[in-house]
Amino acid sequence: MNLLKRLTWKNWLVVWATLLIVVYPLIGASSYMKHLFILFFVWSVVASNWNLLMGYAGITSLGNIGFMAIGGYTSGILAKTFGLSPWLTIPIGGVASGLLVTLFLGLPALRLSGIYIALLSLIFADSLPSILTQTREITGGAMGLHEIPGFIPGMEKIHAYYICFAFFVLVHFLIHRTIISNTGLAFVALRDSENLATTVGVNRFKERIKVFALSSFFTGLAGGFYVHSLGDISPTTLSIEPFLLGITMMELGGIGTFAGPILGSAVIVFGNEFLRLAGTLRLALLGALICATILFFPGGIMQLIDQAEKLMRTLIRKRISREN
Amino acid sequence: MDSLLNAIASGLISGSLYAAMALGLTIIYGVSRVFNFGHGIVAVMGGYFVWSLMQQAGVGLLPSILVSLLVMYLIGFLVFRYSINPLLKKPGWEISTVLFMLGAGILLENVLLQVYGPRVKSIPLFVQGSVKMGPVQINWHELILMGVVVIGILALNLFFKSTRTGQAMRSVSQSIPGAKVVGIDIERIFGLTFGLAFAVTGFSGILLGTKYYLNPHIGWEWMVKGFVIVAFGGLGSTLGAIYAAVILGVVEAIATLYLGAIWVWPIWFTMFLILLLLRPQGILGGRM
Repeated sequence: MNLLKRLTWKNWLVVWATLLIVVYPLIGASSYMKHLFILFFVWSVVASNWNLLMGYAGITSLGNIGFMAIGGYTSGILAKTFGLSPWLTIPIGGVASGLLVTLFLGLPALRLSGIYIALLSLIFADSLPSILTQTREITGGAMGLHEIPGFIPGMEKIHAYYICFAFFVLVHFLIHRTIISNTGLAFVALRDSENLATTVGVNRFKERIKVFALSSFFTGLAGGFYVHSLGDISPTTLSIEPFLLGITMMELGGIGTFAGPILGSAVIVFGNEFLRLAGTLRLALLGALICATILFFPGGIMQLIDQAEKLMRTLIRKRISREN
Repeated sequence: MDSLLNAIASGLISGSLYAAMALGLTIIYGVSRVFNFGHGIVAVMGGYFVWSLMQQAGVGLLPSILVSLLVMYLIGFLVFRYSINPLLKKPGWEISTVLFMLGAGILLENVLLQVYGPRVKSIPLFVQGSVKMGPVQINWHELILMGVVVIGILALNLFFKSTRTGQAMRSVSQSIPGAKVVGIDIERIFGLTFGLAFAVTGFSGILLGTKYYLNPHIGWEWMVKGFVIVAFGGLGSTLGAIYAAVILGVVEAIATLYLGAIWVWPIWFTMFLILLLLRPQGILGGRM
C-alpha cells in the first residue's frame, strides 16, 4: 500500500500519457507528428534494450545500432525481394539479429571483460557497412533499400502508428517483467559485484548470454518495425549520428532506470527536430549534451525527477506538520 | 613477387604509423585503466595544429610540431584534471568515462569541422624523392617516418625505464595500492600520463597527416584501427601494441593487394575475433 501511495502521481502520469498517445491520431495529429511518434516508439525500444545491456547488466555494448540494422535489413530484404508478409519477416529479423549477435558478441563476451566488449561491439557494428556495400545486389549497397512494403497492403501512417505503439507497449511490458524478475536481479547483481553474485549461485555465462540474446532480439524487432513503417533503410543508419542519438537517449534519461530511456528518447526524438535549426552544429550539441549530463547529472532526467519529488515531499510534510 | 614485397614494405610503413597512433591509447589504459574513446580526435587535432601553424601562420615544421605537442600535452592534462578525475571517483566510472570521451570526441570533431571546414588538408612531405632497394621502391619521406617512429618508441622506452616519472607511471600501472604505499601521487601521475599520451597521439596524427590526409572525420577511422591494434596486442601493453600494429599493417597491405581495400576490415575483425577466443588478453596482455 505504501508503495502504491508513493508511486501514485507517476502512475497517473503514465496512464494519462498512454491515453493521450492512443487518442492523439483520432483528434487530428498531423502526418508529421505521427511520423515523429513512430520514431519515438521504435527508438525508445532500441534505447531501452541498450539500457538493459548497459545500465542493468553493466555490459558496455556500443553495437546496438548494428543489432537494429541487422533486424531491419533482414526483414526488409525478405519482405521486398521474396514478397513475404512483414508479420513473418519481422520475427525472422529479430531472430537473425539475436543469433548473429549472440554468436559474434555474446559468446566471445563470456571470456572478455569491460572494455574488450566495448571494442568488440563497436568493431562489429563498424564492419557492417562494408559488408553491406559488398552485397550490393541484395542489400542495395550505399543506396540502401527503398519501397519496403508496409505492415498491411495500402498501409497509412495511422496504421503504422498504432502497430508501432502496440509493439512499444508490449516490449516495455516484457522488459519491465524481466527487470523485476530473478533474471533482472541477476543482471544487476553481476553488474554490482560479480564475485558475490557468482558466489551466491548466479550463473555468469547463462545470464550474459540471456541478456545479449534478449536485447539483440528486441532491438532486431525494432529494426523490422522501423523499416516497415518508414519504408526504407540505408547504411546511414549505421553512421555516427544514430549511434550518438541512442547513447544520448539512454544517458539523458537516466542509465540503469526503467523509465529513463523512454523519457530520454522522447526528449531526443522531439528535440532533435528543434536541433535541426542548429544545422551542422547539431552533432556538436549532442556531444556536449552527453558530456554535460555525465559530468553534472549522472542520473539524467530520472535523477532530476527524484530530486524534485523529494523536495516536494519535504515541503508537503512541513506543511502537514505545521497544520497539526 | 615484386608486388608482394612492395606491399609488405608499405605495410611495414603504415604499421609503424599505426603503432605510433596506438601507443597513446595503450599508455592511458595501461596506467589509469581509462579507455580513451576520444582518441581519434586527439590525433586529428595534433595534425590540424601543425597544419594551421605551417600553412596559416607560416611557422617552420619543427617549431610547429613542438608547439602542437605542447598544446596537446596541456589539453590532455586539463581533460584529465577537470573531467576524467571527477568521474573516476564515482561508481560506474568505466561506462561513464567511455561515454564521456565519446561525447567529447564528437564535440571536438564538429568544432574542428566548424573551424576548418570539411575540406581535406595535408601536411607537406618532409623530403621529396624516393629510393629503390632491389625491387622495392620507397619514398624518402616514408623512410623518415619509420625512422621517427622507431626513435620515438626508443625514447619513450628510455623515459619509462629510467626517469622517475616514467618509473612511477609503470608502478601505477602494476598496482595502484602499491604505488600509493611508496608515496606516489596517483592523481598527478594520471594527469601526466594523459598529457604524455595526448602528446604522443597528437604526434602520430602529424605523421599520419603527412602520409595520408586530414579531415575532421578521419580520426574516427584511425581510432577504430587503433582499438583493434591495442586489443590485439593486449590492452595496456606498449610492446604488444607495436607488434600488433606491424602485423595488422602488413596484413592490411597484403589484403588490399590481393582482395581489395574493402576486405581489410572484415579480415581484421575475423583475426581479432579468433585471437580473442584463443587468447583474450591479446598477444602480450597485461605487461607494460
